[in-house]
Amino acid sequence: MSAETQAPAAETSNGAVAVARAAVVSWKAPIAFGVFALLALVLFVLNPRAEAETGFRLSTGRDFIQIPDLIVPAFVTGVIVTIALFAIALWSAILVRQRRKTPLWVVIVFAVLFMVGFLAWAAAGETVPVPGLLIGTVSLSVPLIFGAMAGVISERGGVVNIAIEGQLLSGAFTSALIASVTNNPYLGLLGAAIAGLLVSFVLGAFAVKYFVDQIIVGVVLNVLVIGLTSFLYSKVLQADAATLNSPERFARIDIPVLSGIPIIGPVLFSQTIIVYVMYVAVAVIAFALFKTRWGLRLRSVGEHPTAADTVGINVAATRFWNVSLGGAIAGFGGAYFTLGSVGAFQKEMTAGMGFIALAAVIFGKWHPVKATLAALLFGFATNLKNVLGVIGSPVPSEFMLMLPYIVTVFAVAGLVGVSRAPAADGKPYIKS
Amino acid sequence: MRNSMRRFAIGGAAAIGTSVLVLTGCAAPPETDGNGNGNGETSNPDFIPCMVSDTGGFDDKSFNQLGYEGLTEAAQEIGATPNTVQSNAETDYASNISNLVDQGCNLIVTVGFLLAEATVAGAEANPDVEFTIIDDFADLNGDGKPDSDNIKPIVFDTAQAAFLAGYAAASYSKTGVVGTYGGIAIPPVTIFMDGFVQGVEYYNAQKGTSVRALGWDVAAQNGSFTGGFEAGIESKSLAQSLIDQNADVILPVGGPIFTSAVEAIRDSGKDIAMIGVDADLYETYPEGKDLFLTSILKGMKVGVHDVVIQASKGEFDSTPFVGTLDNDGVGIAPFHDFESKVDSKLADELDQVRKGIIDGSIEVTSPSSPKQ
Repeated sequence: MSAETQAPAAETSNGAVAVARAAVVSWKAPIAFGVFALLALVLFVLNPRAEAETGFRLSTGRDFIQIPDLIVPAFVTGVIVTIALFAIALWSAILVRQRRKTPLWVVIVFAVLFMVGFLAWAAAGETVPVPGLLIGTVSLSVPLIFGAMAGVISERGGVVNIAIEGQLLSGAFTSALIASVTNNPYLGLLGAAIAGLLVSFVLGAFAVKYFVDQIIVGVVLNVLVIGLTSFLYSKVLQADAATLNSPERFARIDIPVLSGIPIIGPVLFSQTIIVYVMYVAVAVIAFALFKTRWGLRLRSVGEHPTAADTVGINVAATRFWNVSLGGAIAGFGGAYFTLGSVGAFQKEMTAGMGFIALAAVIFGKWHPVKATLAALLFGFATNLKNVLGVIGSPVPSEFMLMLPYIVTVFAVAGLVGVSRAPAADGKPYIKS
Repeated sequence: MRNSMRRFAIGGAAAIGTSVLVLTGCAAPPETDGNGNGNGETSNPDFIPCMVSDTGGFDDKSFNQLGYEGLTEAAQEIGATPNTVQSNAETDYASNISNLVDQGCNLIVTVGFLLAEATVAGAEANPDVEFTIIDDFADLNGDGKPDSDNIKPIVFDTAQAAFLAGYAAASYSKTGVVGTYGGIAIPPVTIFMDGFVQGVEYYNAQKGTSVRALGWDVAAQNGSFTGGFEAGIESKSLAQSLIDQNADVILPVGGPIFTSAVEAIRDSGKDIAMIGVDADLYETYPEGKDLFLTSILKGMKVGVHDVVIQASKGEFDSTPFVGTLDNDGVGIAPFHDFESKVDSKLADELDQVRKGIIDGSIEVTSPSSPKQ
């Protein structure tokens, strides 16, 4: 991915290509590969586990097609994986010497191979529930993805949205309350979106109309929403939890045929309606941002508001309403915490996920699909921690808790390459 | 013209946004005052007992709530008005304590291991105020006694009770796998996990079975944690990981995180039991009462109550209170709905184990156990 900055160069004339290439040859990918391959050598080959075999469970009990567990010899797998990792690192180095970029699929193959080797090593003597690992990944990623979509829309329009955390939390609170009172989870979803919208109205008003520092407004809003929801939870919801904080949860909906596919089926197509809405939302946002008039206008006010203003686009209104749209999306995603997952609202139940969503936006280069992948990577790292903690990994639990954050830092630092924000991101547009 | 209309619309929408937020804030009912009705000889209305929660808050359905109930009951008996404050962040501990000192508190109860440093600092700075800390020895300098003479630690050897729960879980489990997970890896949490896993091992040694206890390795002091005491998807997915490993008894340790485990069990549709901690969750969390095999009880309510009464009579001392099976400071709850599902001999066996632990013939060793 690091070499992706070359892409625009390839479209320009020949002369420009040569210059651009000379400037962006990057050794990041092979160096990162080399580091991980060395890590693999140290862990899998030089520190083998006492247990001989590792199992990979591929089916859940509910699956239509049952695949038997895959049992692999732990040490041999480790050795093969390590050799393959070194081979990829070497190949990537050769590609860089030839001034060619390392394709994205190589990065993915490398990551998957490393993960297989790591699991075979860490879970030796145990069975890794592969569908469980992936189902947990999706459920931990859903709020991150909604939050990241809110961030992408808002920041593409030039307003930094630190308040994602507050928007998620307000959505979680409102959806639980409304769904409990009305006994209708769909109204809860609507309420969640409205709650997120109201939070972003405040952000939009201060950031767009009054030119207040967007980061400060966002931080203040987060603290405000945490305080407000915790207060209302203690004083109102707790007083009568049976009527105010016991929402009906959405049931899982199995998509016919698709949910029967081994591994992928139960992971992607046996989910609640919130997750299906998320699939649609990511696709629609990815399309609309780059192919519609709305997307073009949004990006123009984020990149060069003066130019946009000159051609007659109302910069303030465009920014305000798109920040609001982002807030509504994040609020909707907040409903996943309650209606989609655990039912009742709990204090501070978003536990910082809004900030991780913000990291996913940057990691995903302000692109809806890449931000989604970043969020999934983060969810995977978190759930890997869970699974390995349960089956008793040789890695200390404190380190396992850092794992998701380490993955993020590595990914952002090592693999993303240059991450460029929209040019006017965070800058108020003051019309002269 | 058009432009100014738009601006007005934006400002107006924002105003609505803020006012709705503010209005909902106002809708909360006023705080009810726990006015004591001084009864009998223990009455001492001038005494001000106070309490600082940790970040869980007084409505966490377990740890803080029990301490709070103990305080309010004692305050009612002596006819005093308690002064309590919740901490919203770790940075609040020290300032909350000094605020209570300024309010003229005679006794300040700090709930939790995490407040140890703030409590010791507060006690050293205010030698006239009495302090009680739950779940910590307040021994930061490591000399084997509380750092200040005006601190009374209330601690529990919860491993003993968790040992019984582990034994019961191993006996009940049909899949031969039981599991535990915690909030944060701190001694008051891991002590449950130590006892639980040892109880399972003891059952195996007695019965020649091989029930596995997942999620905690006593020797390595390493296991699975959510990284916080908030209920939510993290806790749920961790419980789900245990279910994926076929565990049919789950012990979540850490304030409200068990509520997410309840949802994970409901989602799985499997026949899985839970073990509660601190209070008898069958009673305090009726939404999930059909799932609780038993609960590991920690006599925080009684402990706090007794200390407050003592202090109000001017009999405060800094001798630590250590709750054990022997003095009923810790224990396990009845099986309730599971009475008919557990082995008929289990109750008698647990009685034997209990006696064994009390007389020392069965050893429960946790590095987190309070030093006697």
